[in-house]
Amino acid sequence: MSKVIMRVNALSKSFSQKAAELRVLNQISMDIHESEFICVIGPSGCGKSTFLKCVGGIQPPTTGTIELDGVTHERGIPSHVLGKFGFVFQSNNLLPWRTAEKNLRLMLEVLKVKEFDWDQRIDEMLQIVGLAQYKDVYPHELSGGMRQRVGIARALVHNPEILLMDQPFGALDAITRKMLSYEMLSIWRQTKKTIIMVTNNVEEALLLANRIFIFSPLPGEIISEIEVDIPLEERGQDIAGHKRYIELRTLINQVIRQGHAAEARRQAT
Amino acid sequence: MELIRAKSKPVQADRASIMHALSPILLFVALYLLLEVIIRTAGISRTVLPTPTGILSETIRNFGSDLWPHFVFTLKVVVIGFVVATILGMTLAALFSQYDLIVKAVSPFIILLVVTPMITIVPLFMLWLGFDPNIRILVVILQAAPIIMLNTLSGFTSVETEKLELMRSMGASRLQTFFKLILPNAMPQVFTGIKLGCIFSTIGAISADFVGGSVGLGFRILQYSGLVMTEMTYGTIIIVALIGIMLYQLVSFVEGRVIVWRKK
Repeated sequence: MSKVIMRVNALSKSFSQKAAELRVLNQISMDIHESEFICVIGPSGCGKSTFLKCVGGIQPPTTGTIELDGVTHERGIPSHVLGKFGFVFQSNNLLPWRTAEKNLRLMLEVLKVKEFDWDQRIDEMLQIVGLAQYKDVYPHELSGGMRQRVGIARALVHNPEILLMDQPFGALDAITRKMLSYEMLSIWRQTKKTIIMVTNNVEEALLLANRIFIFSPLPGEIISEIEVDIPLEERGQDIAGHKRYIELRTLINQVIRQGHAAEARRQAT
Repeated sequence: MELIRAKSKPVQADRASIMHALSPILLFVALYLLLEVIIRTAGISRTVLPTPTGILSETIRNFGSDLWPHFVFTLKVVVIGFVVATILGMTLAALFSQYDLIVKAVSPFIILLVVTPMITIVPLFMLWLGFDPNIRILVVILQAAPIIMLNTLSGFTSVETEKLELMRSMGASRLQTFFKLILPNAMPQVFTGIKLGCIFSTIGAISADFVGGSVGLGFRILQYSGLVMTEMTYGTIIIVALIGIMLYQLVSFVEGRVIVWRKK
């Protein structure tokens, strides 16, 4: 196995709500290796998005540490290292007054990137997501799927080490969603980035991930970690018939159901 | 791949848009002729309601000799006051918006200033600052700045959480967040404020004229009606309206240039 790029250690997050404290994440620990594709899956409202926001420096964790490239960060990720991440939001989150190209440029402007030629890099990234000819088009003129592709290109443009994706296909229709997840597989093959993706779709996770973490209902804890041992070459349009795929899908659905059952039992007592 | 973009319009649409542009002019001509005919045939006294042609010819005849210095003065008061109010309103809103507590604290006071007609303060101004007619610029600023500030502030403080999270995910500084997100995001509301500012500036300038002094279009309107020069009274009112319209159109034009994207 390649080297550990990020180590999440006992990460917890609580929100104070009307005097009471609401614990959203409980003692999450995981090691992430270089060029891995990690999927975090769980029922809605299990804190999986909050987990990603803590990892991506958008929200500070309440307790716990994140180790990045051998440096331990105590109170969340400081802003000067955020350039190591690219964040893809659930809704594309593009700025409507900027064209596709200018939306990518925003990332480079904020990070004051000096390593490479901006124009060339932007063209390259739009090419990867298949939108080279839509450079000067405003977001409102693009379809939902195309907007999300611009969002993905923006998260890649500054050449981050880790791509964080928060239910990136959640706001799309079923057909576009499927298409874009196949595309994501090829983007991962091309860029070899480390990716952490939060999703609520088991099929999507099985197509893309090499490891899947299953979260319990609130407060989110890791209840299971599943190694997806389907070789990359065998993943594609016909993966739905793959024997191992069907086995793993059954297993994951079972684990999620059991998590729910345990939660229901706990609430009953 | 699908791209929703209607570039080529059919010919009928072009004809329709010409009609849209011409319609106010056609309505103006129709009203002009209607008034002219009714006033003449009904024999209404010119001291009550002069004919449009009478207003037009009298105003043109007196404009250069009689009205010109007053026109220049009022235009100066409105334009300088409006420009200062816009800059002041936006800058203060930008500063206040940095702290939620300040926004909460000042909001009621801004609303108080918006609803207070500044004409009520003019006598006090004269008491404090003397009779220099240029003090009216101050009245315009006080009348227009609060409404600009109110709208701008609401634009600056209503940014979607997700957009702020985007800036945070990049590690953007406060300054970067303001200039790359908050300011452009607020532009539609800023322009609403500035357009209201145009209207408030004209109102402020003319109402200040009404209180006292011997210069300004407002002063002239009072004088003309006192002398029963009814044509000139109407003519001056129309000139005041034209100043307001001109300013408003100018701002609308800039708005169209700045906001090229469509807001959802």
